[in-house]
Amino acid sequence: MLAESVGASATGVAILDEQDRVVYANAAFAVQLHLPHAAALIDTLALSTWTHSASAQERDALEQQLRDPDASVLDLQVAGSETTTLYLDDRREGRRIVMVSNDWPMPGAPRNVIAQLDALTGLANRATYDEYVQSLSSSKEESPASAVILLDLDRFKQVNDTLGHAIGDSLLILAAKRMRSAIRSDDILIRLGGDEFVILQAHNKQPESAESVAERLVELLQRPFLINGHQVNSGASIGIAVLGQGTREPEDLLKHADLALYEAKRLGRSRYCFFESSLESRALERRNLELDLRRALCLRQFSLLYQPQKSLSDDSISGFEALIRWDHPVRGRVSPVDFIPLAEELGEIHAIGEWVMRTACQQAATWEGEQSVAVNVSPLQFEDDHIVDVVTKALKDSGLAPERLEIEITESTLMNNTEEVMQRLWAIKNMGVGIAMDDFGTGYASLSHLNSFPFSKLKIDKSFIQAEQSPRAKALMDAILTMGTSLGMMTIAEGVETPDQYKELAQGGCNTVQGYYIAKPMAPDTIESFMRSMQTVSITPVG
Amino acid sequence: MDKTLYRLVYLSRNTITGDDDRLQDEIRGILDVSQRNNRQAGVTGALMFNTGCFAQVLEGPHNRIQDTFERIQCDPRHSHVSVLAFDRVEARYFSDWDMAFVGQNAQSIEQFADFNERSSFDAKALDGDTVFELLRIHLDEAERA
Ligand SMILES: Cc1cc2nc3c(=O)[nH]c(=O)nc-3n(C[C@H](O)[C@H](O)[C@H](O)COP(=O)(O)O)c2cc1C
Repeated sequence: MLAESVGASATGVAILDEQDRVVYANAAFAVQLHLPHAAALIDTLALSTWTHSASAQERDALEQQLRDPDASVLDLQVAGSETTTLYLDDRREGRRIVMVSNDWPMPGAPRNVIAQLDALTGLANRATYDEYVQSLSSSKEESPASAVILLDLDRFKQVNDTLGHAIGDSLLILAAKRMRSAIRSDDILIRLGGDEFVILQAHNKQPESAESVAERLVELLQRPFLINGHQVNSGASIGIAVLGQGTREPEDLLKHADLALYEAKRLGRSRYCFFESSLESRALERRNLELDLRRALCLRQFSLLYQPQKSLSDDSISGFEALIRWDHPVRGRVSPVDFIPLAEELGEIHAIGEWVMRTACQQAATWEGEQSVAVNVSPLQFEDDHIVDVVTKALKDSGLAPERLEIEITESTLMNNTEEVMQRLWAIKNMGVGIAMDDFGTGYASLSHLNSFPFSKLKIDKSFIQAEQSPRAKALMDAILTMGTSLGMMTIAEGVETPDQYKELAQGGCNTVQGYYIAKPMAPDTIESFMRSMQTVSITPVG
Repeated sequence: MDKTLYRLVYLSRNTITGDDDRLQDEIRGILDVSQRNNRQAGVTGALMFNTGCFAQVLEGPHNRIQDTFERIQCDPRHSHVSVLAFDRVEARYFSDWDMAFVGQNAQSIEQFADFNERSSFDAKALDGDTVFELLRIHLDEAERA
């Protein structure tokens, strides 16, 4: 509300950046200072443009006051005999608001306005939002359907991190201008903070009205920005909550818009979503799962099961893959498919991954034979050098021979920061540990990845094994097996469930197989008896 | 004001609907406004169009280009703006044109349509130089005619 009225207000308002350049000026400001229209003021130096009629003394005073970060007041001659009063607010985060009025002082008002303006963009700020919500809550009459449109700039953090904060700030300013151009004059645009903006819309045609603005905003902000000689690409994700349409209390508008925003991001960004009550229950469920997951390690709710891997050359059990299980007293057994992505998002994956590595090495060291143990490592664990220490320590503490450990990574591990990731992989390989490529065939650029590192093993994804038997599928499988052999990599097929699949793989020259056809994942204390049973009866393919 | 020159080349999808007359009118309007605004801002350049898309070159000081581009971006008469080049340059190429216009004769429209088709509007398949070069050739031809 206030930022709106500032635009049209009789009080001149301008905002200066660190170099005392004008980043915002309203129409009244230009008029009061006898300057051409406000838009032309943007990017000019305060000192050079504002003092066109001032005396040398006034000019010096302004120069000095601009240098001083504290608030001050100054009279400035703007035309012949006309003088106006400049009010320089104190500098905040490099920005400074300057107000100008012919009838200074205006008791109380200016401070109030300043407190409700965002110094960077000149938009209204959080205080305006709070005031608005309060007015909605206290209003007795039936208020029109009010929409809160919450907008978050995509990739803003990335821009800030890679191109610097100055460019990030410029992006915010330009994006704010685009938003302004897309909304109706009676909509209120607010910068909540960071890269979060809110548009308040109070008219009866909801949700259509909010929807059309959101659609336009997504489109506009997707277009490139030109900043400091760079082309910057951002975008907008938007969440919308409408009073009386899923949201009853004004106080809940922002929370609900936020849930919708989260959903928009989850669906892939650069889009808008409306709040629905199911989002709230899902968020609640997710929060509970989060809490449970954070304490699962401490409460010793994780355990490892081991699935045998059978060598086809001599029908022996050559190793086991360690598979994590989470048994929650109330939830029961939670699938890794459900909790690993969450653990990655929460950063818990580091502690969990370390526990898995340590436990798997310890348990494998107690086995009678020389079977290997395969441990899955998340791409996130490869984002810093710690993974090398984790492996080193697990081997040292358990006394397991490095050759018996194999770590399984997925292709996405190789997608980012390749150079550093490669160094870490080499460090681990050089210890004597095997490195297997997991889920092979499901990633993006499988072949180029195979070329980038000497993997010891290719683990063919179960989707290939379980695919409909067709000449095409068979040709594909044969090609993968041949490729593995010619690149000097062992091949292992997972998800082998039927005698036919087993037979095909054996004939195709696959080295190792894993799956229910061989054995289900088993608890560590049953491994010994399993191994003994294998010595007496060996599974032979039927037919 | 920083005197460093920049050159922007972008491509966008023409969303003007209606018959040829309507298109001609709108283009005329765009050119009139451009010539007026660009002269004032010290921006020069060229605009090329066909029924499918626009290509435009803008040259001038960084922030003037930024302002102009921001205004153009919000124009509903086009969409899917993709920047092909935004670079520092030593000199202006279109120093005499507030907004030169290429693409009025049938042949140039055809040629433009052709590269449009080849790229199936995958602007990334074209670099700024290609478009710039095309614009330049057309201008040279127009001069000679
Ligand atoms: C493809 C295209 C190119 C344009 N090029 C320019 C330009 O170079 N300069 C300009 O001022 N406006 C240009 N415009 C028009 C702007 O989008 C906008 O309508 C105009 O700048 C508004 O000017 P006004 O505020 O003076 O009316 C272009 C529009 C389109 C669709």
